[in-house]
Amino acid sequence: MPFLASLTSMSLTAECFRDGIERIRAGLPELETELNAADALLGDGDTGGMIGRVVTTIAAAIKPDSDLEASLATAARAAASATGSSLGTLVAIGLLTSSRFAKGKQSLSWTETGAVLEEAAAAMLKRGNAAIGDKTVVDAVAAVAKALLANPEPAMAGAVAIAGAQAALDEFRQRPCRIGRARMFAERSIGMDDPGMLAVARIVERLAVAPAG
Amino acid sequence: MKKIINAPADYVNEMLTGLSAAHPALERVDGEPRAMRHTDAPVSGKVGVVTGGGSGHLPLFTGYIGKGLLDACAIGGVFEGPTVDSCIAAIKAADSGKGVLCLYGNYGGDRMNFDLACEFLDGEIRTATVLGTDDIASAEPTERHKRRGVAGIVYAFKVAGAAASSGTALDEVAAIAGRTVDRTRSIGVALTGCRIPGSAAASFSIGPDEIEFGMGIHGEPGIWRDKLKPADALADEMVDRILEEKPDDSGDRVSVLVNGLGATPLEELFILYRRVDQRLRDAGFTIVRPLVGPFVTSMEMAGASLSICFLDFEIEKALAAPAECPFWRV
Repeated sequence: MPFLASLTSMSLTAECFRDGIERIRAGLPELETELNAADALLGDGDTGGMIGRVVTTIAAAIKPDSDLEASLATAARAAASATGSSLGTLVAIGLLTSSRFAKGKQSLSWTETGAVLEEAAAAMLKRGNAAIGDKTVVDAVAAVAKALLANPEPAMAGAVAIAGAQAALDEFRQRPCRIGRARMFAERSIGMDDPGMLAVARIVERLAVAPAG
Repeated sequence: MKKIINAPADYVNEMLTGLSAAHPALERVDGEPRAMRHTDAPVSGKVGVVTGGGSGHLPLFTGYIGKGLLDACAIGGVFEGPTVDSCIAAIKAADSGKGVLCLYGNYGGDRMNFDLACEFLDGEIRTATVLGTDDIASAEPTERHKRRGVAGIVYAFKVAGAAASSGTALDEVAAIAGRTVDRTRSIGVALTGCRIPGSAAASFSIGPDEIEFGMGIHGEPGIWRDKLKPADALADEMVDRILEEKPDDSGDRVSVLVNGLGATPLEELFILYRRVDQRLRDAGFTIVRPLVGPFVTSMEMAGASLSICFLDFEIEKALAAPAECPFWRV
């Protein structure tokens, strides 16, 4: 998720949050195509386009001189103004919750970021009326949170986040969707990636790779 | 699937501008392009009735703004919920101080954003929420609260609008709207899919000689898919499945909506209606104020849905009250 920012830094700051959004934006065409294709199997094929709109709106809204809390809050409002889709609204809620936990802090260690993501996941579940295990974006966010919380080594944050998201994707692929449109053909959803979970995995990969040069 | 559009990103806003130009009683809410209001809203002393949802379904949702119907509407992108700002703008535009009923279909994005809007307005505007859950193919009867809202929500719009216009208080408007939802059942069939502007392919694929029974208005999977069957066989299965689930106190008076999903011609809807009418009369029902036409569509999807509203005295009276919107007049 965008609020993981750039996992190649030693901690989460406003600057690396902006850098993370920029990295996601730069890779959008490819990400949109992959997510649209995944969503076409389970939904109406527009998840990639929607995520693209959310990321572009966030990138345009964040101000370079804002602190971490303000940057996350701005990103939350931008996401909420870009779409009313369930996934986009959950992203906004996750960002808003994260901004509250960043209040008064210049940076968050990756372990602290794991704790923030855990809170974000809880808020997303509550608002979305979902539970862990329903095969939604929140299962991937919770997996990344758990991986970061269990890892004390800042230099390894990127690798453990990638592994956490990928493990969740692999584990849930063989499970049925239990909420949203795809629950209506739960058996047929077995073997397919949830587009929201896939988005988390792909975004974490982009954030965790050191920029060239 | 060819479309008469400009840039896909402008699809919703250009549609709203055209709708408002053709029907000047509908206007954008100041400062929020994705919220529409009736020029008379808020009506002094009247409870506001607001809906919202994704675009791609006209006349639903915006098209039911009108006298005796809705006061305002929050409008999302194609098949996307409205944003929280759109919901707030629509609720504010409808509030005369008597409170606002939010009446919309049971979809995740719509629900989250309307709930957030109501929480933001808590203490400022009194709100109540009723969700459309009429699609019997979308969950088992034991999980009716999980069902999605489809064409049958039009009955709840009409009844809530009539109740609000007669000076009824918010709690009672919500109660009769909720009862109308509880007494309405729908089921649809789809023959072809539709394409979201800007996406490369149709939202689902279906063979040229196939039909999907029970499909939702965004292409949600239905109950079965098979070779196309005659209209009478389809009408019979739709009627049978709905009557199997009729309310315990259904009475013997019903209203019926045979709805076209966008591409299916009126002729075919009347062929379906002919059989539905015959079957319901044979089963001892009296049909009141039947509706046949495109009331809730899914862009260029071909197909139809049947909604049956099992009337009680108050609902029947509310359906007969005067109402006028761009696509429907009573």
